[in-house]
Amino acid sequence: MGKLKQKGKAGAATNYINRNQALKKLQVSLADFRYTALILYFEYSLEPKNKKKANKGSTAPTTFYYTKDIQYLAHEPVLQKFREHKIFLKKLTKALSKRELSIAKNLEKNRPVYTLDHILKERYPTFTDALRDLDDALCMLFLFSTFPATDRINSETVTNCQRLCAEFQHYIIKTRSLRKVFLSIKGIYYQAEVKGQIINWLAPYQFSQQVPDDVDFRVMFTFLEFYQTLLGFINFKLYSDVNLVYPPKLDTSKDEGAAGLGALIIETTNSLATLSTSSHNNEDINNNAIKEEMVRKLESEKRLKTLSEKLATIKDQGNKTSEIQPDTTKEPEVMNNEKIMDEFTSSDSKYQQDVSSKTYTYSDIQNASIALTEFENLFSNCIFYLSREVPRYSLEFIIRTFGGQVSWDETCGVGSSFNESDDRITHHIIDRPATGHRFLSRVYIQPQWVYDCVNARKLLKTEPYQPGKTLPPHLSPFVEHKEGDYIPEFEGNMEETELRNEQEPYNEDIIHQMELEAEATGISFSIYQEQQDQLAKKQKIRNTNNTKVQQPSIQTITGKKRAVKEIEEKEVKELAKIMMTKKQKTLYNKMQYGKKKQQEKAENLQQEKTS
Amino acid sequence: MSMKITGENEKNTKKRNKNTTNFTSKGSPITKQSHEENNSEQNFLTNLKIDMLSDEENEEEIDFFKLRSGNEDSIHDIVNSGEENDNFNNGTSGESDNDEYIAGDSLDDDDLNSRDHVENFFNDISSESEKTQEQYVIGADGHPRKILPEIDPVYDSDSSTENPTNTIGNIPMEWYDDYPHIGYNIDGKKILKPAKGDELDKFLENMEDPDSWISVKDNLTQQNVKLTDEELEIIHRIQMGSYPKQDYDPYEPTVEWFTSKTEVMPLNATPEPKRRFIPSKWEAKRIMKLVRAIRQGHIVPGKTQVQKPRFYNLWNDTDQPYEDHPMRIAAPKMKLPDHDESYHPPAEYLLTDKEKEKWEEMDPEDREKNYIPQKYSCLRAVPAYNRFIQERFDRCLDLYLAPRVRRNKLNIDPESLIPKLPNPKDLQPFPTSLTLSYDAHTSRVRCISIDPTGLWLISGSDDKTIKLWEIITGRCIKTWEMDDIVHSVTWCPIKEVCAFAFSCSNKVGIISPTCICEEEIAISTTRYVTAGFDNSQKNEQKSKLVDWLKPTNQQNVNGILVIIQHVHDKTIKQIAWHKKGDYFSTTAPDAGNQGILIHHLTKHQTQQPFRKTRGIIQSAMFHPIKPLFFVSTQRYVRIYNLMKQELTKTLQSGVKWISSLDIHPMGDNIIIGSYDKKLCWFDLDLSSKPYKTLRYHTKAIRNVTYHKRLPLFASCSDDGLIQIFHGMVYNDLLQNPLIVPVKILKDGHQVVDSLGVLDCEFHPTQPWIISSGADHTIKLWT
Repeated sequence: MGKLKQKGKAGAATNYINRNQALKKLQVSLADFRYTALILYFEYSLEPKNKKKANKGSTAPTTFYYTKDIQYLAHEPVLQKFREHKIFLKKLTKALSKRELSIAKNLEKNRPVYTLDHILKERYPTFTDALRDLDDALCMLFLFSTFPATDRINSETVTNCQRLCAEFQHYIIKTRSLRKVFLSIKGIYYQAEVKGQIINWLAPYQFSQQVPDDVDFRVMFTFLEFYQTLLGFINFKLYSDVNLVYPPKLDTSKDEGAAGLGALIIETTNSLATLSTSSHNNEDINNNAIKEEMVRKLESEKRLKTLSEKLATIKDQGNKTSEIQPDTTKEPEVMNNEKIMDEFTSSDSKYQQDVSSKTYTYSDIQNASIALTEFENLFSNCIFYLSREVPRYSLEFIIRTFGGQVSWDETCGVGSSFNESDDRITHHIIDRPATGHRFLSRVYIQPQWVYDCVNARKLLKTEPYQPGKTLPPHLSPFVEHKEGDYIPEFEGNMEETELRNEQEPYNEDIIHQMELEAEATGISFSIYQEQQDQLAKKQKIRNTNNTKVQQPSIQTITGKKRAVKEIEEKEVKELAKIMMTKKQKTLYNKMQYGKKKQQEKAENLQQEKTS
Repeated sequence: MSMKITGENEKNTKKRNKNTTNFTSKGSPITKQSHEENNSEQNFLTNLKIDMLSDEENEEEIDFFKLRSGNEDSIHDIVNSGEENDNFNNGTSGESDNDEYIAGDSLDDDDLNSRDHVENFFNDISSESEKTQEQYVIGADGHPRKILPEIDPVYDSDSSTENPTNTIGNIPMEWYDDYPHIGYNIDGKKILKPAKGDELDKFLENMEDPDSWISVKDNLTQQNVKLTDEELEIIHRIQMGSYPKQDYDPYEPTVEWFTSKTEVMPLNATPEPKRRFIPSKWEAKRIMKLVRAIRQGHIVPGKTQVQKPRFYNLWNDTDQPYEDHPMRIAAPKMKLPDHDESYHPPAEYLLTDKEKEKWEEMDPEDREKNYIPQKYSCLRAVPAYNRFIQERFDRCLDLYLAPRVRRNKLNIDPESLIPKLPNPKDLQPFPTSLTLSYDAHTSRVRCISIDPTGLWLISGSDDKTIKLWEIITGRCIKTWEMDDIVHSVTWCPIKEVCAFAFSCSNKVGIISPTCICEEEIAISTTRYVTAGFDNSQKNEQKSKLVDWLKPTNQQNVNGILVIIQHVHDKTIKQIAWHKKGDYFSTTAPDAGNQGILIHHLTKHQTQQPFRKTRGIIQSAMFHPIKPLFFVSTQRYVRIYNLMKQELTKTLQSGVKWISSLDIHPMGDNIIIGSYDKKLCWFDLDLSSKPYKTLRYHTKAIRNVTYHKRLPLFASCSDDGLIQIFHGMVYNDLLQNPLIVPVKILKDGHQVVDSLGVLDCEFHPTQPWIISSGADHTIKLWT
């Protein structure tokens, strides 16, 4: 017989620790505990599955923490630093009250300083983990970057927040990774894709924030402190990954002139290297150039030699690699290594086969990537000019992210690259009903056009967005419409639907499948195509013959049949419901309730729309 | 406005709160003076109220500093107390003074001198006491008490020359207002209040006494005290705003004890100690400590803080993420905005006034969304969102305070919950539609029965008739008028006998409808039924349960062969035939132990199978094959073995009130219907608990029935529906019965007085079902 298990020695009873126990164990005050454990470490409280088991049989409301987390915290250096800081404060006050100023100065010099780096690393062991948690950090920093410098918050923090945000935005501009934007009543939502992670953040409109009284700013600042460190490290990593210098230099004159994003000077690490080499004299450069040429020639000869062999192998492989041949000539680097090439070609054919069994084809991926690059260069042919009344920071960020050029009224801030009368300007963003002088060469639009274009992933028609006109509704790009949801009308939507209607009822995939089926039955491709053409013709003739009077009658008959069938199906379902267990029944009813509620909501919207 | 006035020689003044008095006079600043006397001559405290003759001033409370009264040159003493310091140090004088010191609440440095003096004094006393012989008396507490020698006070300390002192101390005198005395003297005797005249007397006194204008009322003695010239002088000086002491010089040249000039000669001529010339050991130790710390690198001298770059590459590519752990729960992401959060949403997303009102009425916690959708014509018009910080703060709180739970969201298609059953079409035949309606009854049709051949149907109704119908045509062939409501009709299950039993109040009768059967059968039936009359008449029992009565002539014409009149007068609700047609049971729920009776038709005998019945009996049935008898009470079904006469099994239904019971023709399965809408299928081989409990009717189930041949069963309910099931029972014992609902027969019977379908029965051969309802009709479903 095994050993008797004692109660309260294992399982939930030892897995969880309540707050008071945790405080006792860590020997810290509640405030310190909150600061370190909760905010910095995110030692969130947990809800045990069985409260009774975790709390010695009591069901009183208690906050529980994971015991191991607390044990881990006990060895936290920051906690020790807090204790040191407390001692330091005691010493300092003592010295000051005794007027021992030199001692106080000395103490002040050796003030214990703590860093949050290790906490960051522990909380986010990988970079993607950190990126995943960036949403809240960005929201917070963007909020504080618009904060007025009051007695509650010093201006250094605000400027630091502004700087960090600008740095991050610069990265987004550089990598063109913005995906969605949305103008809401709360602020502007942005969605970016960084290293495969979707990051959403909300930036308030550029107004001075009203600071409420019932907000505990100590909590906010603790979060802010952590988030500042987080974003700093993330920015560093992001910049260094794309070969940019971090921290970017700040052009103070521009910054003082409210240049915003333009105040930061973004430099690549390569440019620095070239700058350093530029100090060499010209001869060296010439020599280098000659040498480089020599090397290149040698390499090309080698390549030519290998190419003939290569061609032979390719011929053996037949037509599979025919697509790749031009590539090989274009990209000699690939040819350098024969073996890799071999592997590549063979693996490629395999890859194609593998992929064709799935639904994605190589061309699909290619199309997607082309679409993405097109999307990223959405405004590359546009040159914008911003009037004074439009939100410059947001628009500048968006337009530059999508490859557009932008300038603004000089009175808004320093850094506008061209002025209003420039001929190159294609779009003039204006948010006033009427203007005095109009340039004919450019289109006058309201700012919403930019946002809608980004969300629609194409340049929309500018007519509805002309100044003074009532704008089309601005819809959230974050909503994913499910089946049965109410889908509001939108120009982009409408166009899409029109396009769909114009297209054949079934898409290419289905056609392809049908072809394959036909082949399987033994019909050769050409014959199959002929058949299809004939069928199509017949259908057309039928369509033309069928008058409008006949159509509804057919429809009604089919409708009746369908109705009968539906009724039958419904009946069968109802009967089957009888055999459900009670548990299943309640679950089913709950689900139906939720569905019904959603449906009601959609219907409500639809009704309001029609009325 | 307070000013501290110190004596000439501060060494001898002492602050004594106890003895301070505040003084105010016309427009003069309030002065507070503390003073202390060292004189050995006892001084009593005086709280003086200056009577300055003017009424207005009389009303003002005047605190005055302590004065030495009794001694003529008191002021002088105050002023010159420094001189008396010598006296003080002599030790010969000042007992009381020492007492005062002990009682004093603060000690200055100067007190220390006097403390020595006090000690000396006490030493003196003790030495004195040692000298005198010690005497003891038994005290009040029974312990010996030492009698201390009388203290011989020095001449000067005697206070007997003084007025009796009031010992109450510095307390508000109004506490003694209601008493005849004003305090206690040193012996504890009451000091009576001095005679006090009325206001007129006072006035006269004032007028008569030439010194009244310079007298002050002493609070402790309640008497007027004439101020001395010195005191008057002080008052006068204070009034003038000058120092109270005449010869106080505020501009005395300062005595520089330590001059700013360095003197040539040292103050003391002691030679320099040795320690001044040798290095300090302790200093050396401290220095070594520092040196060691520097060597070991704890202290870096002249350390310039090398700024570590604030940000560096924290993450490498080789980093490994944490493994998934059930306790590690990532914070949920923020909800992304919906269409209605747009600054310019489609018009349908805007709230109507009613919705807005509703939104505002709700608690902020209950609101689905924490904003009201708004529409601005242009981006320029959008204001700042004033709850932004609040929302961020709430998010922060959520992040670090909210307990986290991992909830698995059930991501299943609700349709997948519906069990996959064989298509009802594959399980045909079963009744699907209404074919015929038999309408002739004028009240609810309680019971129906189909004859074993499947041609005829009888029905009993609340209109006190029994009707015989041809099933196929729906023709009513015959009607029997009864005395009371017909509760049950049942055909005899054997084909050779063409008769049915009916129950009507406490009577049960057997009727042979001669019109529908052949003559031979009619005769044999009559013989079969009436054969027992001879038998029953012979065996007269002591306690008769029933009377087997011969029908009257008129009844005979109608075809009634036998009437069994029960002794109890309770209505008989149910009749159940044994398979062989010889026995049948009658059930009367209210009849107690006579509730179930088994009648032997051919012998006209009646048995009472149970002496005692447990609970109210709902129905009883014979097993189709075995000699078992099923009795259902409200909650249980009990199975009795008739041969062994014992209880074999009790089935626990789990329902509240069983309404009906039917046994599968194979005999191994039974179904029960209950008034609480449930239908239970029992597999007798499996367990005493239901194999399946189904709840699909919305009202009470009235009857359940099996088909005799086909794998069908049905239930009818007060909601007007008849539910047909496919109930396949396999011969293989390991296979559970298959129950598939196949059809709901709707729109047949109407619900009248919340009663729907009252009875239903399957056709013995065809997949038909006949039902009777409270709407006076009988329906055939095929």
